[in-house]
Amino acid sequence: MDVNVPDARILPSSTALPASATAWRGRQIFWTVVLLAVVFGAVPAAITATGSSYLAQIAITAMIFVILSASLNHITGTAGLLSIGHAAFYGIGAYAAALLSTKLGLPFIVTLPAAGLIAAFVGFLVAMPTMRLVSIYFAVATLGIGEMIYVILLNWVDLTRGPMGIRGIPPIELFGWQANTLLSRYMAVAVIAVVCVWVLHRLTHSYYGNALRALREDDQCADSMGIDVVRLKVEAFVVSTFFAGVAGALLSHTSAYIAPDNFRFMESILILAMVVVGGMGSLPGAVVGALFMIVLPEALRDIGDYRMIAVGATMFLSILLLPKGMLAEGASLAFVRRAFARGWTTMSGGTPVGWK
Amino acid sequence: MIFDIFLLQQVINGLSIGFVYALMAIGFTLIFGVLNVVNFAHGEVYTIGAFIGLMVITALAPPLVAVVPLVLAAGALSGVGLERLAFRPFRRFTDEASQKSRAMREATLLSSLAVSIIAREIMMHLFGGDMQGVPSDYLLQRPVAIGPIMVATGSLVIFATSAVMLGALQFLLYRTQTGLGIRAVSNNQLGARYVGIDTDRTIVTTFAVGSMLGATAGILVGLYDGAISPHMGFAPGVKAFVAMVMGGLSSIPGAVACALLLGVSESIATEFLSSGWKDLITYSLLVITLVFFPQGIFGHGRERA
Amino acid sequence: MTDANTILSIDGLTRRFGGLLAVSDVTATIKQGELVGLIGPNGAGKTTLFNLITGFTPPSSGTVRFAGRDVTGLKPWQIARMGMGRTFQNLRVFPNMTVFDNVSVGAVGSFGQSPWRALFNGGAQSRAVSARSWEALERVGLADVAGEIAANLSYGKRKYLEIARALATAPRLLILDEPAAGLNDTETAELADFIRRLHAEGVTVLLVEHDMGLVMNSCSRVIVLASGRKIADGTPEQVQRDPAVLEAYLGVEDDAA
Ligand SMILES: Nc1ncnc2c1ncn2[C@@H]1O[C@H](COP(=O)(O)OP(=O)(O)O)[C@@H](O)[C@H]1O
Ligand SMILES: [Mg+2]
Repeated sequence: MDVNVPDARILPSSTALPASATAWRGRQIFWTVVLLAVVFGAVPAAITATGSSYLAQIAITAMIFVILSASLNHITGTAGLLSIGHAAFYGIGAYAAALLSTKLGLPFIVTLPAAGLIAAFVGFLVAMPTMRLVSIYFAVATLGIGEMIYVILLNWVDLTRGPMGIRGIPPIELFGWQANTLLSRYMAVAVIAVVCVWVLHRLTHSYYGNALRALREDDQCADSMGIDVVRLKVEAFVVSTFFAGVAGALLSHTSAYIAPDNFRFMESILILAMVVVGGMGSLPGAVVGALFMIVLPEALRDIGDYRMIAVGATMFLSILLLPKGMLAEGASLAFVRRAFARGWTTMSGGTPVGWK
Repeated sequence: MIFDIFLLQQVINGLSIGFVYALMAIGFTLIFGVLNVVNFAHGEVYTIGAFIGLMVITALAPPLVAVVPLVLAAGALSGVGLERLAFRPFRRFTDEASQKSRAMREATLLSSLAVSIIAREIMMHLFGGDMQGVPSDYLLQRPVAIGPIMVATGSLVIFATSAVMLGALQFLLYRTQTGLGIRAVSNNQLGARYVGIDTDRTIVTTFAVGSMLGATAGILVGLYDGAISPHMGFAPGVKAFVAMVMGGLSSIPGAVACALLLGVSESIATEFLSSGWKDLITYSLLVITLVFFPQGIFGHGRERA
Repeated sequence: MTDANTILSIDGLTRRFGGLLAVSDVTATIKQGELVGLIGPNGAGKTTLFNLITGFTPPSSGTVRFAGRDVTGLKPWQIARMGMGRTFQNLRVFPNMTVFDNVSVGAVGSFGQSPWRALFNGGAQSRAVSARSWEALERVGLADVAGEIAANLSYGKRKYLEIARALATAPRLLILDEPAAGLNDTETAELADFIRRLHAEGVTVLLVEHDMGLVMNSCSRVIVLASGRKIADGTPEQVQRDPAVLEAYLGVEDDAA
């Protein structure tokens, strides 16, 4: 019951493709367990053992940036629309959550999805007129829109309190349970980050993801294969901005204070750098890139003022030595097919192909 | 009548800002032309120009006209260094998959960004993060009356310098062998190589020329505003980038026209809006332009099938 | 005209580029199961006509009917989803995707895609897409390189990859734009065999070619275009004897591709 039936020229679709072998199932469980054990076991254990609030803070920041980097990878890496204004949607989500909770007193269970939906709605409004732009023109449009949103956050003082930012944002709270300790805050953020990455994983590692990659490679050609290019691009942008908004809400509720400078152009570039350093189009790469770019400056704290130089240099060297990223797209897709049993195996024993 | 004169004054101020953007935008356009890559470190070249100028002034106190050639040299040097460091290493990937891979293209873009971070941080270390004052002898803020309007010496110097540099650029591009090379490589890099043009050298030259313009813009603004800081290159860099895109990426006249448009509209906008909101004008103009002219105002259509 | 068997009918199709009439008042039909050649010297307007049919270029005037519906003015993806598969004159595979993933895009296009399905209940459709893609790869003989990155294939194999991708859309009409361009004589002969085999399996094919030989040897009917006009339409024998065709090809019979 394997895919490759060498002499049958045309396979009836009902018999063609088998369920994956049990060996694959085992490997999927292995990798899932390893990842969950690190996120929910090793990291909290380290935080508890060292009792370090500093470590917890980094872990929370890292999780937020994992969401940002993975969501930017969805639109820029997978669908190929270079966005250099991602931080603006992060900002919209953060401000939405902050204002909804401080002004209207809404609970986290409402502000979190609301932040995502508001960011996604703005993303939709932005996407409609800009989707027919190609290559660098789209990038510059996102830059312009990102800067516009920044200017609005900074100057609409009545709503956003301008450069003073918003203080006193309540911490994460679910039906009476409050994330008061840093550890519980980390756990809450980690759960949400894992869900976000899982959703992006399902979208990317599927035939839907293949359609997105086709847009990136050659959108006119995808068009003539029956792919509704504009709709798909808008969808990808909306999904990406939704998750940026969710990340923003997490920032608001974990740091209690936000200001416009958290969402400037350089922040967008930092997120883009995570995607590129990790590997454009590679979801595992986006995650690793985010961790790397957050942990590296902290690891370099001892060299004090020189650490930003070291960050720039590391970024430069990693791009120079690994221009396709630490985990290049092709290898990552093959890895996911194998490790999470997402692909179809062939009898000839070659690499798994396609998506489940 | 009063209002009109006031407006005229704002237009003149705006034009001088616009020419600064234009000098930078030309650098962007030239470099994008030969490499098809955005040079994110262009703003740092502008900053370097300003700091080198300031160092020369404080160390030697030369006459103003002597500062410019030194800044030009510094600009050329930083352009060449930038190309060597951030761009040339990526030209070793010539196979088809790499050429068509977006990962590769974005990597080159970010390599210039990484270099710009390094350059900015080094300047922070050398000069500190604060504004540096310019010796008052060199300030270009003295108002000059031209008929009923008052124009700062800085504006006049910017106009004069821009005119000279644009003229020189025109001469370089259309009257010299080097310019022919730049135009050929911009048109078709492979073709240019086949007809025997040394593309590597042309690219370096382009960086040198573009960076000379950017560095000059930096010192002019430094002397006009009287303050120089490691972050000063960011805003004009973004504006110039916007001007290049609005102009259609590959058109120098287009970039200059859009840069002037941005400068003037910003300057007029400050009359109606508080200065915080004025950047909104620039970016609205950008987005509106792109919605109605998806390839920029002076760009070309996209070929099909 | 309105024969139930007619899959494609174009009527008075015209396209101007400025002052140039690239396609001028072309009327033709293709029936289900046919293998029709469209030939003409370089610059005759073949690619333009092709783009008019597939919806890439809007016509200046005239109509295109496909599978019983007026498709003039529809988007390329809408026409493609109705069952018009195509290849490109200058190869356009998705270079950074695997061979299998390239082909799957055609299948995904024809089945339709939605993020919800990818998230929640993609199983049945993924199975169908996979089966369709695999079948298309086997038909063109690329199943053994299914996991390779497309950019690493040879030029000839990429041609077949493009055809497989079009086949995966389950086309009711398959249009090939100059598939023999860039192939040597042996490869062209193999390609002709392959196209005839596809036709024998029941695929309706419109073969747009610059090279007379391939078309004359494979097609049952040939349409000739010159300077944007249709100058002949008939069996290869009829067309070859047609004085207008001879004149159009005079002196350009053996030019290099
Ligand atoms: N987009 C376009 N703009 C202007 N002229 C075009 C365009 N596309 C094709 N043409 C012109 O139309 C004519 C027909 O071209 P084409 O359809 O490519 O011919 P063929 O495919 O038969 O070689 C040629 O003279 C060509 O220059
Ligand atoms: Mg043609």
